[in-house]
Amino acid sequence: MAVQNKGKKRGASSREAPAVVEKEPLFPVSKGIDIPSDPEEASDEEEEVEEGDFDEMLKEMARDQGIDSDDNNEGDEVEDDEVEADDESDIHSSDIEGASSEDGDDESGEDDDESEEAEEVEEDESSEHDVEGAEELDEVNMDKLTIRDFVGDIQGWKEYRKTLPQIDAGYASDSSTEEPANTIGNVPIEWYEDYPHIGYDIDGKRIMRPATGDELDRFLSNMDDPDVFRTARDEVNQQDVKLSAEEVDIIRRIQGGSIPDADYNPYEATVEWFSSKTMQTPLSGAPLAKRGFIPSKWEHKRVMKIVRAIRQGHITRSSAPNKDAKPRFYDVWEKAAQGEEDAAQQKRLARRARMPAPRLALPTHDESYHPPAEYLPTDAERQKWLDEDADHRKKNYLPQDFGALRSVPGYARFVQERFQRCLDLYLAPRMLKRTTQLNAEELMPKLPDPRDLRPFPAAEALAYIGHTGRVRSISIDPTGLWLLSGSDDGTVRLWEIVSGRCARIWNLKETVHMVAWCPSSDVCVFAAAAGSRTLVVIPPELCDEQKRLLSEDLVRAGFNSAAQPEDGDEDDDSLPVSWDMPTTAEQASGIHVSVAMHKTVKAVAWHRRGDYLATLTSEEGGCSVLIHQLSKHKSQRPFRKLKGAVQSIMFHPTKPWFLVATQRYVRIYNLMQQALVKTLQPGVKWISSIDVHPQGDNVI
Amino acid sequence: MGRIKKKFTEGSSRTYTTRNRALRKLQVSLSDFRRLCILKGIYPVEPRSQKKANRGSSKPTTFYYAKDIQLLLSEPLIDKFREHKVFLRKLQRALGKDDLTRAKGLEARRPEYTLDHLVIERYPTFVDALHDLDDALCMVFLFATMPAVDQVNNEAVEDCKRLSTEFMHYVIHSHSLRKVFLSIKGIYYQAEIQGQSITWIVPYQFSQNVPLDVDFKVMSTFLRFYRTLLGFVNYRLYTMSNLTYPPKVDQLMDDSAAGLGSLRIESRRVEDLIKGVQSTDSDDTNAPEVAMSKQMKQRMDTLGSKIKKIVAATAEDTISSVPAYEAVGSSGEADIDDDARQTNSLLFAKQVFFLSREVPRYSLEFVIRAFGGRLGWDQTSGGGSPYAENDNSITVQISDRPVQGHQFLNRIYVQPQWVYDSINARRLLEVDDYLIGQPPPAHLSPFVEYAEGDYVPEAASKLAAAAGFEGEVTNLKPEDRDQAEDEEEDEEDVADIDGASADEDALDSDDEEEEEDEDAIAEKQHQKQLLAERAGVSFSEYQQKQGAKPKAGKAAAGKKRSKAEVEEEERQKIAISMLSKKKRKVVNRTQADADKKAKDVNTFKTRKAQAAAKSKKKN
Repeated sequence: MAVQNKGKKRGASSREAPAVVEKEPLFPVSKGIDIPSDPEEASDEEEEVEEGDFDEMLKEMARDQGIDSDDNNEGDEVEDDEVEADDESDIHSSDIEGASSEDGDDESGEDDDESEEAEEVEEDESSEHDVEGAEELDEVNMDKLTIRDFVGDIQGWKEYRKTLPQIDAGYASDSSTEEPANTIGNVPIEWYEDYPHIGYDIDGKRIMRPATGDELDRFLSNMDDPDVFRTARDEVNQQDVKLSAEEVDIIRRIQGGSIPDADYNPYEATVEWFSSKTMQTPLSGAPLAKRGFIPSKWEHKRVMKIVRAIRQGHITRSSAPNKDAKPRFYDVWEKAAQGEEDAAQQKRLARRARMPAPRLALPTHDESYHPPAEYLPTDAERQKWLDEDADHRKKNYLPQDFGALRSVPGYARFVQERFQRCLDLYLAPRMLKRTTQLNAEELMPKLPDPRDLRPFPAAEALAYIGHTGRVRSISIDPTGLWLLSGSDDGTVRLWEIVSGRCARIWNLKETVHMVAWCPSSDVCVFAAAAGSRTLVVIPPELCDEQKRLLSEDLVRAGFNSAAQPEDGDEDDDSLPVSWDMPTTAEQASGIHVSVAMHKTVKAVAWHRRGDYLATLTSEEGGCSVLIHQLSKHKSQRPFRKLKGAVQSIMFHPTKPWFLVATQRYVRIYNLMQQALVKTLQPGVKWISSIDVHPQGDNVI
Repeated sequence: MGRIKKKFTEGSSRTYTTRNRALRKLQVSLSDFRRLCILKGIYPVEPRSQKKANRGSSKPTTFYYAKDIQLLLSEPLIDKFREHKVFLRKLQRALGKDDLTRAKGLEARRPEYTLDHLVIERYPTFVDALHDLDDALCMVFLFATMPAVDQVNNEAVEDCKRLSTEFMHYVIHSHSLRKVFLSIKGIYYQAEIQGQSITWIVPYQFSQNVPLDVDFKVMSTFLRFYRTLLGFVNYRLYTMSNLTYPPKVDQLMDDSAAGLGSLRIESRRVEDLIKGVQSTDSDDTNAPEVAMSKQMKQRMDTLGSKIKKIVAATAEDTISSVPAYEAVGSSGEADIDDDARQTNSLLFAKQVFFLSREVPRYSLEFVIRAFGGRLGWDQTSGGGSPYAENDNSITVQISDRPVQGHQFLNRIYVQPQWVYDSINARRLLEVDDYLIGQPPPAHLSPFVEYAEGDYVPEAASKLAAAAGFEGEVTNLKPEDRDQAEDEEEDEEDVADIDGASADEDALDSDDEEEEEDEDAIAEKQHQKQLLAERAGVSFSEYQQKQGAKPKAGKAAAGKKRSKAEVEEEERQKIAISMLSKKKRKVVNRTQADADKKAKDVNTFKTRKAQAAAKSKKKN
């Protein structure tokens, strides 16, 4: 019915629209909206169309086209008729429906009436069915008449056509074609807010805005309307659309994620086209594949693989308990305890015990949670500990006092420390270091107590007072009665040992580095090294006549021999030595010979017989050590060059040896053979003086 | 001319091998090698000359004993590691192909290896194992407190918990705990088992933070061996003291966090008896005399139940009843030493403790029970407490709160440190210092041994004085005493050598001598001198001795003494100058050490004085 006056409706609606605005909403309008929204009905109609005879359909289509063309041709002329026809049909339908049409009127007038609504829809449907049923009957009755029957009688056909039932074109399902469609497209409806119309229909006519109550009315109507939940707003047409039960159902289905069509069965029974059953007429005539009837070789192989694995015990039932599982722990040391160890084992073990890991140091007081106050670090120490690199800290913790056990927290670095220990155990190279626990006291030599060594001069007995400068050297004469001392003040003093009386003073005017008595007991001579001169002195007071004569003989003999020039002594010139007669004044004081050299004489040493005299000067090289023969006034240079700075010289008391002490070594030369006898290495840093035991065995 | 010797065929380059050479020889990866080294206890060594050991190269290298590596070659673990590698490859492959069934099957057949043979190899005797137990215990006790995180295997943690509890039970059972120390790092325990003192540290029970800079692979490899070792040690300890191993887990107690109480320690002897009975039982059924056997069986059955009753009784006894133990200990006179030891190790035998909820039960329960005490604890700190708080038999309540609200009159309330200090002092200390609400005395390390000249904290000397052996821990130089004793001994020796009673008299009493003739005195003196000389006593010492006797009464004047000191110093100097360079170095070093020690002692003393002054000011 909705479709039947499709063509007309276009005109009708457009014309009736103002009336709708002005008057109460009319029945057809509401119907026009209501009906197409029912899909079931639409589908029914479609089915009707489908079920109808195909030829007839074609014919009717053709007819419709003709009408359409007519409509187009006639334009406005036809319109009046159509309106009338529409009215008529309306009346007709209402006649047929009877009471129901009134209902429809009511319903369209007051949408709010909730209770009646559902019934109304049903009634609508039923009434429509009824109408359709009637139309069908008509169609059947008038089926025999076609356009051919009216050849030449167009008017008659037209009249007849009006009585023909409406052709359902099958558009009913498509609501868009059904609507008094607003053709504004995607233009937002808000743009029409200020206008009385809401858009244009397909003919370009304005579609007027349907009447709407204010918000309060709408609210009240919504409160009263039981169908609010199924009412949707069609913004484009500015209308409320009431959804049918089916539509609501579809929405629900879509919301639920299932297929919208309630009738669709997604689980239809499948038809086994290709089954094991041999068909009478098979779908495919291809011959059966070989694998279809021969057992698979590969499957067989795989099965055999498993079978073999089972046979060989590779695959076992995991659930089967292992029977011979021994307990996790047992007595491993049983054998060892009974002494049943094989030799190899023992050997291995002996090796193993070589280097046990050192144990961790046991904690001291300062690791306590509550240590004595003196073990707590000061602020400076704490800061130092914090600033230090973790690897360089002496202790890996900072002593702390927590006061009570309850306030002791967990130690944050516990795991790290255990880990460090683990690393030490397996990564740190081990080394056995034998440290002997030496007690310092055990090392000390057993020295005799100084008291045990008594008597020794513990107190000063005598002081020999007289020198004004530093005393450089002293010497005791062979008889042991007299003491000579040489000093920086340029004097040589002779002291009587027993009394401390100064017997004689020689003023030599130069620093006296060394004084030395001649060791021979026959003579009474001493040598004094004063500045660069070496003086040989016979102290006149000390010796008796005989000794004096002997001494003078010794000293004087040289001058005699020196008078005769010697040819063979080629070194003589080069030697920086001059034998002089001292001045008379000096002679008077007992100085008999003076040997002058270029440099300061540091040391003087006598040979045991008293004939030879060795001197040491501060000169570098071989000239520093010279040996003088007193009886011939002859000087010799025993060494062409000497290693190191000579500190001291000495004649050996018994052998023809000459000892030279340099800074580090003592060298012993044999003067007869002119060869090095021995080098002594005392291992001290600086040898300042040496002395030889009178028997000649030991050197100090 | 003989053959030219090849280089590096003997000596240092043969004794040692570098790590890379070892890897090449063993054909293992570095990580496997490390694991092997950890498990086998192989360590790098420092050769005397690196250059010689490394064939002339002085590059810094890690050296191993070549023989160690040679031994590793025949190690079955290498094969196991290879198997594991193959297994991993297969598993990877299966997983890569999404072949889950195969992967599951492989996983079920994951190759396992045990370290049993390493235990006996590394520790050929049980005592060796005990000697080296320190690290193992520390590690196991640490991992027993580890949280369940990715890096730590949960199974290992459970195992560690169990092993550590077992060990603690043994220590309790054998009363072998000796020293305890509450340090800032954790609690140190020292037990003496079979003559070996074993020290281990247990962290305070907080959740351990798992650091990122620790390689847990290394740790877990160590732990793997230590677990095995401790398991075997526990087994032997238990079996040697006739206990069943493994002890049964009381699930109910375990669930209620009973701690030590979750294991039931049972005597083994009776169990064995039951086993023996059962075996004879089965023999009997095979015998022809069926009637007899039936009777026997009946009897045996009843016997079994009876014995079980006995077991329960004895088990209870061993765990809780201390008096019985005492009775046994004091039965024979020959066990006097034992008895003395027992009294020390059963320090708390007469005490019943109650632990408040804020004290560390995991430590106190162990310590108290190890010294024979009985205890109960608060419900909140775990189930299975044998005593409730209002029990009348409780004598000591250990509490660590600033103020104790309600106090029972028939018990004393002390701070937990009292227990630890008492153990270290080996006697029950006065509780006055440890009462609640006051700072306890300083807690000292029981592991410190004082040598001559060491600083002795006040608390230690106080303790020693209270114990009544002031001689051992004092600031006096103990060696002086020794010396004096030695001298006395010397004198006696002299007398013995001579055998003349007159001399002895002469030594003892000078008064008598005076009456005799001077000549005689002189002669005797001379004789004595000679004797002393023969005995190796120097004259001066002898004289000192002689002089010391009459002068003993007089107090040596300070001035005189200082003079003597000066003399002594001089002598020292002369003696040092006489020494060889090497010895002088040693002497100087020891002198420097002594000086440093003295300096440290001084700083301690000054600091103590400062602290005392501060506290006074506060007061």
